[in-house]
Amino acid sequence: MKDQGQCVGLYIHIPFCRRRCLYCDFTSFSGHRRWWQRYLQVLLQEIRELSPLRPCTLYVGGGTPTVWPAAYLEELIKAARAAGLGEGAEATVEANPGTVGPRKLALLRQSGYNRLSLGVQSTKDENLRLLGRLHTAQQAHCALAQARAAGFANINIDIIYGLPGQSLAAFREDLERALEWEPEHLSAYCLSLEPGTPLAEMVRKGLLPEPDPDLAADMYCLAEELLASAGYEHYELSNWARPGFACRHNLLYWRCEPYVGLGVSAYSFIDGKRFARTADLASYVRLPVAQRIAFSESIDGALAMFEAAMLGLRLVQGLSREAFAARFGVDPVALYAEAFSWAAGEGLLEVDESRVRFTQKGRLLSNEVFARMLPDRAG
Amino acid sequence: MRCERERIRNFCIIAHVDHGKSTLADRLLERTGTISPREMTEQVLDSMPLEREKGVTIKASAVRMLYTAPDGKEYVLNLVDTPGHVDFSYEVSRALVACEGAILVVDASQGVEAQTIANLYKALDHHLVIVPVVNKIDLPNARPQEVAAELVDLFGFSPDEIIFASARDGRGVDEILDAIIKRIPPPRAPVEPTLRALVFDSHYDSFRGVVAYVRVFDGVLSRSEELLAMCSMASFEPMEVGTFTPAMSPVSELCAGQIGYVATGLKSVRECSVGDTITSARRPAREPLPGYQPAKPMVFAGIYPVRPEDYPLLRDSLEKLRLNDAAIVCEPESSQALGFGFRCGFLGLFHMEIVQERLEREYGVEIITTAPNVELEVLTRRGELVRTNSPAELPPEGEIEEIREPWALVTIVTPAEHVGSVMELLASRRGVSKNMEYLDPQRVMLTYEMPLSEVIIDLHDALKSRTRGYGSMDYSLLGYQPADLVRLDILVHEERVDALSMVVHRDDAYRRGAAVVEKLKELIPRQLFPVAVQAAIGKRVIARATVKALRKNVTAKCYGGDITRKRKLLERQKEGKKRLKQIGHVSVPQEAFLAILRTEE
Ligand SMILES: Nc1nc2c(ncn2[C@@H]2O[C@H](COP(=O)(O)OP(=O)(O)OP(=O)(O)O)[C@@H](O)[C@H]2O)c(=O)[nH]1
Ligand code: SF4
Ligand SMILES: [Mg+2]
Repeated sequence: MKDQGQCVGLYIHIPFCRRRCLYCDFTSFSGHRRWWQRYLQVLLQEIRELSPLRPCTLYVGGGTPTVWPAAYLEELIKAARAAGLGEGAEATVEANPGTVGPRKLALLRQSGYNRLSLGVQSTKDENLRLLGRLHTAQQAHCALAQARAAGFANINIDIIYGLPGQSLAAFREDLERALEWEPEHLSAYCLSLEPGTPLAEMVRKGLLPEPDPDLAADMYCLAEELLASAGYEHYELSNWARPGFACRHNLLYWRCEPYVGLGVSAYSFIDGKRFARTADLASYVRLPVAQRIAFSESIDGALAMFEAAMLGLRLVQGLSREAFAARFGVDPVALYAEAFSWAAGEGLLEVDESRVRFTQKGRLLSNEVFARMLPDRAG
Repeated sequence: MRCERERIRNFCIIAHVDHGKSTLADRLLERTGTISPREMTEQVLDSMPLEREKGVTIKASAVRMLYTAPDGKEYVLNLVDTPGHVDFSYEVSRALVACEGAILVVDASQGVEAQTIANLYKALDHHLVIVPVVNKIDLPNARPQEVAAELVDLFGFSPDEIIFASARDGRGVDEILDAIIKRIPPPRAPVEPTLRALVFDSHYDSFRGVVAYVRVFDGVLSRSEELLAMCSMASFEPMEVGTFTPAMSPVSELCAGQIGYVATGLKSVRECSVGDTITSARRPAREPLPGYQPAKPMVFAGIYPVRPEDYPLLRDSLEKLRLNDAAIVCEPESSQALGFGFRCGFLGLFHMEIVQERLEREYGVEIITTAPNVELEVLTRRGELVRTNSPAELPPEGEIEEIREPWALVTIVTPAEHVGSVMELLASRRGVSKNMEYLDPQRVMLTYEMPLSEVIIDLHDALKSRTRGYGSMDYSLLGYQPADLVRLDILVHEERVDALSMVVHRDDAYRRGAAVVEKLKELIPRQLFPVAVQAAIGKRVIARATVKALRKNVTAKCYGGDITRKRKLLERQKEGKKRLKQIGHVSVPQEAFLAILRTEE
């Protein structure tokens, strides 16, 4: 095992799903079984070539990683271990409740994954049907129980709110039921209707009511309230965790620390450069490594500061003035004086001696503040 | 070139829109060999791309043909093709002054229409000899004898004057040529030896400057002589003198009686405008020829660049357009909401549309146009009479003694079966019936007086739809009459949006106000505070709506690649914000104005 080399978060994208959900615009393909083997081989090759970088967290996401046999996913974590992923390191695998059973979950746990992120989305079948998920609420509940039985002690569930026609009361029920399942971690995402998805089309054609953004704001506030009273810590705009269970891998993103993303359309951020691999499966599998990169940009100067500030502010504890100053040599409150004083005046932001953080109103309107912090583009 | 006046004929072709003027011109060009069959296209004189696309003549054009008559003598025939659309009747009047005769074309299936009458009377006012032609006799539904009878009954032509023709298959064209030679008189004899040439049209050419289309009445227009535009007192060395064949072909001189062009090299049409007389700079004529009344714009609207940085482009483009289209008037204007732009006057709504399209297509300026309006007269309490063509400039209600709006005399020809429906339409537009006359048992001519504003908006379209396309109209300005008009202001967060003010009839104010307020409510993006949108007459609010405060603008997911995507999104939002117009504290995208102004009416 190597322990030298820069420590990075390792993300692996499995772009396969059994069936596309109606709201989804992620890079993912249904069918495409014939690609699985070759794709796995390419990933393994890429993990082997990580050195001198060394993974310190692992996150296998998708798509639906669990459409794959447990054996494939096991090979991935094994390769990551060989590349330096420590025994105690956080290793997350995403699972669709419709694609796992007791056996697969046990195998995943045994192979070393210690965190499971279950795409529950809702505890109500009507919502799951609307979203086109392939599982029922009952299946999700079972998957959770089975994961517990398999030994997963760190489970996240994803919940979506702001659905067409969803009432505040219905969302309360949904969330309360999800909390009864006692996950360690919960991500609540507001549905965004991505143009071109079947769900967005149905809304556009008037077959479904347009979601009301004000109601979604009420739902967000309700989630903050319910989760706080259930003992969850709100640590990022859309994420809550029991103390000690914040997702370490995801924290790397918000702290602007390095990560490597393998697989189609995955992003990496190392040495002030962010780059993405191609979203095209065929070229990904066929082309030599160098040509898999489809996009790359340097994040330096004002841009680096902006990203650090924006991502830092997404964390509920806010941006540490001292840490920012230590990194960039300037106090963020001086750098963004105009934006921050405007935001403070509007009741969106709180600034004290050590930190800058959003108020509840500000969390809902964060983009208004970020847009005012953007540096003028050079060139 | 020999200057035998006896061998010259100057004539124009007049008709109702689409009766076949340009197509008949094609046949004449063909028969005289001016254009070889190979170069021939349909309506060859409609050379502007927009004319070709719309199949409508917008600008009059002149062409010189050489014709050897059956008796073996060679004649010079100068033809001026004119537009038929009511908005361009001014172009027709100008063409008439250059000619001694007019071919009046009437569609054998449609018969006499409103502009047939209007244009014929104009030609008679100018003492032109009229050659009546019943065209399109090849059409299966042609009724040439009935239409000829109409011409006889209505205008007193004698039956044997009327020529039956088809501009499609060429029947009657020889007869028309014969009539041009035999019936239309040659140009009048010069009354003085010094040069006097009337500018009846012009266009701008970046190489040759203003090219003036002229009819020489006296003297000789020579390329080698310094010239003077009598009205503007601009003198110039002509760069080129020539005739249209129909391309511009240089000649050394134009003699009295001829039609041609002179390339002046001048950079501004105002130095050599339509109606001016060109004379010799060294030996100027004592008096100019009687010119024309300048075109009178009927419809006004603000034109603004969508991107403020395009203002210079808009200014230059308008300037160039005006070189070719003297009927456009414009003055700089600024609006708090739309920035710097121009208040422009047009001959009618169709003319306005054409200018908009040309600006966007030929000059590549994206523009936004405010709601069209007419020019009003306001008598203030202090007894002053002010004219204004901009609703934003109307004095406050308290200072107004009386508002007067222009009225028009409208002539409509409709099939008898639709007369009821048309009268209903006219009544709903505040029309007052003056006369009703049967042209024949099936067709009725209605004469109405009504406010010009009701005519220009979409009366023509409304008439067409009520008469299945068979109704036709013409209008002319009468004068001003007092009217119960009010200025409707639109306020956003208590600030008046000048570009949205409009003058409306009091009875209509509530409906219009409510409609605009509702529309704006949809278009104004939510701000961090609630925004009131109001419609008001003076201080009295007559409609209101509220744009609720924005509560949520947050990106739910922000992991690896989302960071770049989100930053791009924010950058786009920021770019967008730069284009927002600030109305007090409220930021409104210009698209909102665009949308509201385009949906108006
Ligand atoms: N069948 C038939 N169609 C004709 C004849 N003359 C013209 N047309 C058609 O009638 C339409 C209008 O012809 P134009 O020559 O453009 O008419 P215009 O009077 O110049 O029209 P404006 O310039 O727009 O006023 C075209 O589609 C012609 O092809 C004809 O003699 N017979
Ligand atoms: S499971 Fe996830 S990635 Fe797959 S289609 Fe559904 S939402 Fe998209
Ligand atoms: Mg024509």
